[in-house]
This record gives sequence, C-alpha cells and structure tokens, in this order.
Amino acid sequence: MKSPARILLVDDHALVRRGVRMILDQQPDLTVVAEAGDGAEAVAVARETAVDLVVLDVAMPRMTGLEAARQLSRRPEAPRILMLSMHDNEQYFFESLRAGASGYVLKSAADRDLVDACRAALRGESFLYPDTERALVRDYLERLRRGESLPRAVLTDREVEVVKLVAEGHPSREIARLLTISVRTVERHRENILGKLGMRDRTELTRYAIRVGLIEP
Amino acid sequence: MALSTRIILINALLFAAGTAVLAFSPATVSARPLLSEVVVLGVGLAVIVSANAFLVRGTLQPLERLVGELDRTRASDPMARVTVASGGIAGRLATAVNDLLGRIEGGQRGEQLATLAGQEAERSRIAQELHDGVGQSLTALLLDLGNLADGEDAPDPQRLARARETARASLDEVRAVARQLRPHVLEDLGLRSALVALTTDLFAGDATHVDRGIAPGLPDLDETTELVVFRVAQEALTNVARHASAATVTLTLGRRGSWVELEVADDGVGIPAGADGTGLRGMRERASLVDGRLEVGRRDGGGTVVRLGVPVAP
Repeated sequence: MKSPARILLVDDHALVRRGVRMILDQQPDLTVVAEAGDGAEAVAVARETAVDLVVLDVAMPRMTGLEAARQLSRRPEAPRILMLSMHDNEQYFFESLRAGASGYVLKSAADRDLVDACRAALRGESFLYPDTERALVRDYLERLRRGESLPRAVLTDREVEVVKLVAEGHPSREIARLLTISVRTVERHRENILGKLGMRDRTELTRYAIRVGLIEP
Repeated sequence: MALSTRIILINALLFAAGTAVLAFSPATVSARPLLSEVVVLGVGLAVIVSANAFLVRGTLQPLERLVGELDRTRASDPMARVTVASGGIAGRLATAVNDLLGRIEGGQRGEQLATLAGQEAERSRIAQELHDGVGQSLTALLLDLGNLADGEDAPDPQRLARARETARASLDEVRAVARQLRPHVLEDLGLRSALVALTTDLFAGDATHVDRGIAPGLPDLDETTELVVFRVAQEALTNVARHASAATVTLTLGRRGSWVELEVADDGVGIPAGADGTGLRGMRERASLVDGRLEVGRRDGGGTVVRLGVPVAP
C-alpha cells in the first residue's frame, strides 16, 4: 500500500488543530506529521519537514494564511495547499486559489468536506467552494447563449441537462429524482462536467474570477 | 450708544472745553511764549489728557476685563460662562458669547446623545441576535449531547447527525454576527473584494440584479477612507435591498480627477420626500470625516442615487 500523505496542519487555535487532526489521522491515506500555530511558523516548519499537503487557516496572527500560501507555493517542489476558513465568501476562495491553494473548506463544513478536499488537493484538483459550482455553470450557460465559442466544452446531452439543473440551484438528490437516475450518477456527471469545463483547474478558475470582476486582475 | 460714538463724543467734549477756555479766558499766548504762559498751557494740557484718560478708560475697561475673562473661559472645561457685568457694550458682548457657548454645547450634546442612542440600539440588536440565535442553538446542542451521553452504548447516528447540524448552524450564526460587526474581507482582501462580497451577501438569491463597475487600478486609499467608502456603500446597498424593490442596482467605483467616486444607483421606488433618517445622517457624518462629499437624490426615471466622493492625492 502507498504510504499515507504527509500533512502539515496550521491553525492558531489548538482546539481546532486537535479536532482536525483527529479527523485526518483516522483516514488510512492521510497522516498529520507536523503542526504550526501561525503562518510564519508554517513556512519555517515546511522548510524543515517534507510534507505533501499543508492545511492552512486563512486568518492567523503574525502571517495570514493567504500570505503563507503565497510563500509556500513559490517554493520548488511546493506542497499542495488547502485553506480552512471561517469566511463564507467567494472572494476568499478565489484569492486562495490565486495565492496557490488548491481548495477552500469552510470550518463549519469541515467535518463533512475536509477529507474529500484533502484528497482532491493531493490529486491536484480544486475543491470547489459551495455555490461556486452554480455560479460557474450559470456563467457557462450565459456565455453559450451569447454564442461565445467554448472549445473544451463538449458535453453530452445528459450532462447539459444536469448543468441546467445545477444552474437552477437544485441539489444532487433533486436532480436525481427529476432525471430518474441515481444520486451517485448525478455526482459523477457533476464531476465530469466540472472537469470538462476546466473548473477543476486553478488557473482557469482564477481567470474566471478576474473576468467576471470578482477579484482584481 | 455705539462705542466709537461714545469715544468721539468724549474727545469732542474735551476739545470743546479746551477751545472755550482759550477763547473766553483772559489767558494769552505771545508770539514768543513766556515761561508763565508755557506753564499755564502745560497745566491745561495735563487737565485735558487726564480727563480724556479717565473717561476713555471708564468706557473701555469693561471690554478689557471681558477679554481676560474669555481667556479664562477658554481654558476651563467644561466651558464656564462669562459674567454679565453691566448693560453696556461689554454686557451685550458677554450675553452674546454666553448664548453661543450654550448653543455649541447643546449641539454637541445632541450629537453625543444620537451617537449613544445609535450605539445602544446596535448593541441591543447584537445581544438579541446572539441570544436568540447562537444561544438557542448551543442550548439545543448541549441538550442533544447530554441525551447522547446518557443513552445506550452506540449513539443513535440520526441524533449524532442532528447535533452536528446544530453545531454547524450556530457557527453560521456566529459568522453572520461577526461579519456585520467587522468587514474582515476589507482588511484581508481590500475594497474591491469587500464591495463584491457586499453585493453578493445582500442580493444573492434576490430578484434585484446587480451591475458592478469597479475600475481597475484605483489609487490606494488609506484605511479610514476605505472604511468610509465601504460603510457608505453598505448603508446605501442595504437601503436598496430593504426598501427600494429595485430591478437593478448599479455599483460603480472609479476615479474622477482628484476624487474617487462611489455611486450606488437603483431603479426602485425612490426615497420618500424629506426622508433624512439616521442612515443618511450616518453616511454624511462618515463622509465628512475624510473631507468627502455626499449627494443623495432621486435618479432620473425613478429610483435613488447615492454618490460619495473622497479626495485622493493627485
């Protein structure tokens, strides 16, 4: 079996670190090898210890998570980065991507999303912030309607149906009911769609955010 | 009687007296004055000067006293009142000064009262939100956890899931309260992101369409100015969200000469005539803190425009 991915866990609250560590260490493919209490310490620790993934709190004293992410991602053989945040806000998501992070997980959803997000980050994919998917597919449909040519987007008919329902804000369960397919299948369609539309790609996501004016170019 | 008239009269009276003495007394002055004549002239001059000094000083002294008293008043805190001595010019001046002081203090007290009332209202709203929201969810969580601990060996997964959702909900409530208190996104990501986030927060899932036009490469504003721009936008947009029933709201931020201008315009019902609530006053006060100018008016074709300009270094 492959050895578990090594994780550096950074948060200024020891209680949160303990909780997150418990969740991660329970997974056979993940292990926390180091902890840090702020951004500057994280950068220093990452220099000493080889890690595959850094889980970073966005807001910390001394050096914010965003700044630490910038510094970490500039390194040769930079580790993957996943942001952990209190802020339910798309701007933080996109700024995190731009700072070099692969994903952004809300603390209030950490118990549910964290492990998946870690795995996605380790695979080199972006873990989408909730709501972002809907905004992205809406933007895609809008551009399609205006007749912009979108080279990569060759969706199957079924996928187009799913896209429309996602854009209308239906959750997977509902889409499954409407199309009389299983929830699993809907989830797989969603994954494929995001991949095809380049929404798993950090650079493309950042480009999108700049184009629609969510972040400064 | 006016002060100048009084002094002129005093002088005129003394000159007249001197002239009369010269004209009607037997005293004469030769072409080459004799010593006795010089002495007489000297005595006459001394009498006139002393009389003048006595009369003029009597008139001006109350004013000088008033100036001294004003200096003392300026140094005192809270500002004491000056004493109104006589009914003359000094008395009238003292009354006027006291009246002005009274008005200034009254105005300040009114402002302080309004600010205090505003703060108290805000605090009580936050307390209420914490109490009704987070307080209740945490209580529910506590009860759920207690139940789970007292229960059978393997906890009911459904109840566990409910406890988790309750904790999540309380986190969301805390976040919502914190966000109202302090716009972290402004400090962390800057004005552009903060404004975008503001429109997303207020109008996501709303019928109102948002048009944002935030010019790239705006000059750096200092912290206070950024906060003023943000708060004015927040107030204006909140008003639109609450009252305007607008189809579209436009938010623009751009540079015009030596000003950075924020404009929030909507095509809603417009502000009622004569409306000048605490919100508008708050915006004006904030604008004046950074020497900004604020205009609030009706938009052509219905709706409201709020325009804020803040000066920037050229």
